[in-house]
Amino acid sequence: MPSLLGNVFKGWSDYSKGIEQGGNQKYEHMFSMSIDLDKCTGCNACSTACYAENNLAWVGEYKFASRQSMHWMRIERYFDEPDVGSSDPESLDRGASFLPMMCQQCNAAPCEPVCPVAATYHTVDALNAQVYNRCIGSRYCANNCPFRVRYFNFYDNAPTAWPAPMDQGLNPDLSVRSKGVMEKCTFCIQRIRGANETAKREGRELKDGDIVTACQQTCPTSAIVFGDLLDKTSEISKIWKRQQVKLGTYKQEKENKDLRGYRIFEELNIEPKVLYLERVREV
Amino acid sequence: MSGPAKTIQPKTKRVLGLFGDFDQAFEVIADIRHYKVPGITVEDVTLKSPIEHPEIEEVLGERTCHIPKWSFAGGAFGFCFGFFFLASAQANFLAQPQGGKPIITIPSNIVLAYEMLILFGVLVTLTGFILGARLMRKPSGLYDTAISIDQIGIVIEVGDDEFQPLKDVFTKHNVIEVHEEALT
Amino acid sequence: MSENHQHLTNEQVKDIDENIAWAKINNDVLNSMKNPRKGYWVALVLSALLFGVMIYAEVYQYRNGMGETLLNTSHMWDLYISSFVFWIGMSHSGTLLSAILHLVHADWRKPIYRFAEAMTTFSLLTAGLFPVIHLGRVWNFYWVMPYMSDRGIWPNFRSPLIWDAFAITSYLTSSVLFLYIGMIPDLAICRDNTTGWRKTLYTFLSLGWRGDDRQWRHFRFTYLMIACFLIPLAVSVHSIVSMDFAMAIMPGWHVTTFPPYFVAGALYSGCAAIITLFVLLRYFFKFEEYMTMPILDKVCKLTFVIAMVWTYLNLIEFSAVWYGHDIPSKEVLIAKATGPYSIFFWGMMFFGSVLPFSLLSKAVRRNMKIMFFISIFLNVGMFLERWMIVTPTLSMGYHPQGFNVMWPGWVEWAMVGGSFGWFGLLFLVFVKVFPCVSMYEVKEMVYHRKRTTYADVDEMMELHSGVPGPEAQTQQSGGA
Repeated sequence: MPSLLGNVFKGWSDYSKGIEQGGNQKYEHMFSMSIDLDKCTGCNACSTACYAENNLAWVGEYKFASRQSMHWMRIERYFDEPDVGSSDPESLDRGASFLPMMCQQCNAAPCEPVCPVAATYHTVDALNAQVYNRCIGSRYCANNCPFRVRYFNFYDNAPTAWPAPMDQGLNPDLSVRSKGVMEKCTFCIQRIRGANETAKREGRELKDGDIVTACQQTCPTSAIVFGDLLDKTSEISKIWKRQQVKLGTYKQEKENKDLRGYRIFEELNIEPKVLYLERVREV
Repeated sequence: MSGPAKTIQPKTKRVLGLFGDFDQAFEVIADIRHYKVPGITVEDVTLKSPIEHPEIEEVLGERTCHIPKWSFAGGAFGFCFGFFFLASAQANFLAQPQGGKPIITIPSNIVLAYEMLILFGVLVTLTGFILGARLMRKPSGLYDTAISIDQIGIVIEVGDDEFQPLKDVFTKHNVIEVHEEALT
Repeated sequence: MSENHQHLTNEQVKDIDENIAWAKINNDVLNSMKNPRKGYWVALVLSALLFGVMIYAEVYQYRNGMGETLLNTSHMWDLYISSFVFWIGMSHSGTLLSAILHLVHADWRKPIYRFAEAMTTFSLLTAGLFPVIHLGRVWNFYWVMPYMSDRGIWPNFRSPLIWDAFAITSYLTSSVLFLYIGMIPDLAICRDNTTGWRKTLYTFLSLGWRGDDRQWRHFRFTYLMIACFLIPLAVSVHSIVSMDFAMAIMPGWHVTTFPPYFVAGALYSGCAAIITLFVLLRYFFKFEEYMTMPILDKVCKLTFVIAMVWTYLNLIEFSAVWYGHDIPSKEVLIAKATGPYSIFFWGMMFFGSVLPFSLLSKAVRRNMKIMFFISIFLNVGMFLERWMIVTPTLSMGYHPQGFNVMWPGWVEWAMVGGSFGWFGLLFLVFVKVFPCVSMYEVKEMVYHRKRTTYADVDEMMELHSGVPGPEAQTQQSGGA
């Protein structure tokens, strides 16, 4: 009982501190991302890098078409400008917009409270963590994700995807998930932990640029920027500030209407942490 | 105005009278209630019946039943236990923060405490039933399977002197059978 | 005075014949438990085979992964959850009949509530299979139970699925106990009139019931208390099941009227299932005197009323979407009516809202064969309703890249069909081991039809013996 009361008060003070930081609990870091859709060429390098970095299995053409694939980072194509490029629907010149979509690490994630076994929660790094060992595969979290960025291991893909000796090429920093377990983009948490350990070993704080996610590293146009929002000197904080997008609200008030920054589905009040910079349209 | 006979005899037998006509059985009890059978009061009467008779309470007299108290106690315990158990579990669990919601969420705890209220209410009521109705005890030998079909039985513990007057009252009201057993 | 009582008696005779001998009631019901005919064994074997199909499908799914169900990234729930909600819904029949109608003294429920209560218990046991089957890692299903683990890990009490676990556990426990307690006097009758292994079983189960007034008094209060507990529990259980959807943010799910909508749908499908089993039991056990036409009449009327409540709540949900500016919800509703699943949507509307109007016709209500098929179609409508709740929302959602059309595969159908086999197996065993008509309650029904009940004991005394009652005597003595 004493720990009950103690934890009630501690929970409340953490909550108040979190509100100041723009979230809901006390954070040490607040990792977020910004993706410039004008720079994105739709080359899919980020998606491929994610496959390599996070031990994602290929599933084959049939299962991919049945929507049972495992690509944590997917490039969405929107053919919303028929005037650009060829008018022939079969032509490849058809002016598509590309949008790299992955887990938005929402601060008020709808996927977290609905897991029956608490396999997903919000870390002190403001990441939405998925605990593979705890997941029993009820898939409620995936149903509640408006972005549909949660992927379920419908099969044991590992034996087909990496027959020996290809399994020697897996990333040893994280596990290969078995069937029946949910997974999603983690902002390369293994790299975050690695950078933390390096910084501690060198006796310094984390600085901007220490952590580079796989997609950010691979992007040829540097469309992806990643960093800590609580670090006011980081590049990502400057981008968010410049775009006048704030956490903790779903109606952004911007002085300059030409600012391109927006968050997807922020009106659902889920506080996604990925800022998209809209593609510059030809007027 | 003479009152009931004040002599209290030691009880030596248990008598069961089986009746086919329920109204006659009720009249026997009414007779006993009016002290027509010496030495026996309506408190001594036990009625064995194939169906329940709420109206018999008026002839048989007020008898207590504590089941509602058990139900209330069970429900209250269930609610409090449910709420505090859940709140303690939530407060002590490591990976707490989820979805921007507080650690101890009142709406979900109330829903679950409500379920616990009902679960414990039912379980404690059942316990009260088994204890209060004195089920699961070694039964007396006086029982006729006709009671489970369509006859009603009146069981009274009597002393030796009271047995014959009682039997007369039974016979007056068309008793079908009379069984007796000695009280040990 | 006596004219009033006569008037009451005349009105009440219609539900059941007042001249049935009680010994005959015992015999009829006890005989129904003995000597199963060939048809019974055929039905039992068929149910077992159907259940075997379910076991095969589960083993197949266990070994190969959930992907065999054809679920996909955008569409993670389908028939398993629909069936789960369907079976929980069916389980509300027994509570309605046993508890709710008991509180309003509707005597006509007495011959039929025993099998309805059994249906509740077995529906819950069937429904309980599905939350386990639909898990990706089935072998860890016990993690949803709150137990002291050495790592201090508890389930997530914020999740509606955990509320489901608690609610269904409470409901199953309470229903089984309610069924059992209501059966104790009947088990005593069975104990007195059987031999062999049955006698041993009933002796153990009847807990030494002897029909004492003390036992009956406690019984009456216990039954009433548990009925009072069970009614809010039944309402809350299906509300909690509805919150699996209502607590999600998806369009088409995040609807406030889901709790009453689901409860109305549950009562509806429960009543339809009662009619189905009524027709079957009456035919196979020749219970024409107990499960009479007037009682079927009343059950049909009740079904119609509940159908109208369900229709109203359904239409209210549509109106709410139409009124609001929630574009995703509007699009989901339009997709339900005109999209790839539209035929099932309109099927649901027809079977759920139009077909019940046939119950208004007396000729239909009195025809056993037609009622059997109508009740089955009503339940088909309710199953489609559950499917229409789960699937169109998941086939759309918020994100356009998630739009998909998914049809269930053989694995899911095998599981759903197999669940009917499991239910059939449980129910068939029940009707031969336990009395499916409540003997003591039918006796009470006959008794209260026959006897007038007196307003007070004094009046009874005067009418019978002409002697003033004790209160009058005391007054006389007090005045003397």
